[in-house]
Amino acid sequence: MERESNNALSDVLAQKGISRRNFLKFCTAMTGALALPSVYTPRIVKALEEAPKRTPVVWLEFQDCAGCSESFLRASRPTAGEVILDVLSVDYHETIMAASGHLAEEAKKMTTDAGGHLVIVEGAIPLAEDGLHCCIGGRTAIDILEEATAKAAAVIAVGSCATFGGVPKASPNPTNAVGVMELVKNVPVLNLSGCPVNVVNLTATVVHFLTFGALPAMDDLGRPLFAHGALIHDNCERRGHFDKGEFVTAWGDEGHRNGWCLYQMGCKGPIAYHNCPTVRWNDGLNWPVGGGHGCIACSEPDFWDRSVYEPVAIQEVAPPASFPPAQAEPEAMSSGSAATVGAVAGLVVGAVGAAAVVGRGGSEDQAEDQAES
Amino acid sequence: MAKIAIDPITRIEGHLRIEVEVDGGQVTDAWASSTMFRGIETILKGRDPRGAWLMTQRI
Repeated sequence: MERESNNALSDVLAQKGISRRNFLKFCTAMTGALALPSVYTPRIVKALEEAPKRTPVVWLEFQDCAGCSESFLRASRPTAGEVILDVLSVDYHETIMAASGHLAEEAKKMTTDAGGHLVIVEGAIPLAEDGLHCCIGGRTAIDILEEATAKAAAVIAVGSCATFGGVPKASPNPTNAVGVMELVKNVPVLNLSGCPVNVVNLTATVVHFLTFGALPAMDDLGRPLFAHGALIHDNCERRGHFDKGEFVTAWGDEGHRNGWCLYQMGCKGPIAYHNCPTVRWNDGLNWPVGGGHGCIACSEPDFWDRSVYEPVAIQEVAPPASFPPAQAEPEAMSSGSAATVGAVAGLVVGAVGAAAVVGRGGSEDQAEDQAES
Repeated sequence: MAKIAIDPITRIEGHLRIEVEVDGGQVTDAWASSTMFRGIETILKGRDPRGAWLMTQRI
């Protein structure tokens, strides 16, 4: 492909007054967000600078609330969202595009007929009554999705609705709504779940695609591991309080005022795989648990059918039947066994917290006894 | 008499179709259709009211 000088990133950045230093800072931040070693930063810089042609993007909205669009557009620092918008060519996005009616639909068709584009989908697809619960330009969402993805390079489903059905799929699922991966089988689909999607994760995914020409490594639900590889509970800033058995038991009580663990108020952190505690929201300002409300596990399938304020069963930190000795002779300890001991010590501490949840008193003492033995 | 349909109406949140009937340069009739339905009222029935705000804020 020929490089289009009017689209060269450096020119666009200069026009917008974004310094090279800020651009490099952005690339470094993206390397971190993708959980890549820092040696990859120059590769990301090179890929973004030498992108031969702006990658066309078609952003489809179906049964959505536009919350994911808002989340993407609300990247307030000029570097994050804008850099990506400058290396992409967003040819179709109902909420932000100037054209409307048949002109908008024609713009989309030109891009999707040419192929090699990225499709970003926001919102679920209703299957009931042949799909008439969501029609755009007189065509059903099922039709539009099929046409737009036929020649696409990749599909990124953003938000809970496009990934796992979200709000529309909540019981009793009146419109028989499904996520993108139920319908698109011929093109790779990446699920960036969350309600809404986090702009950092979407930007990082696009950067990964532009740098390596492929979607990032995924878990068994099609979610990128860099964003959904760890439990919220394991990276939560309130985890120390969980391990100590310090829980909020009523809104506004002493524990709530002091930032204690929200597990007993129904926090779903122990079952939710998402990087909220580390990347946070609103340019890293805060996140729901930091604001004093439990996690609702919006990154997980069918989370709307869980009771928001009922505690979940903890599986990941259940204490094992027995512990290996916590004290080993220092000279006999290899670096590997040192790591094991550290991990075991962490498990023991976790077990104390878990036991304290199950029943304060008896089982907590038992866990401590085990830890000491 | 001509009928004009604009679908989708862009730069709004949600899906909208507008049809107008034009006669001699005058709009004589018009129809607005919201072309997407999720059934949030149906979904909310029988749910714990403490969690309802989370869902309704996503309309």
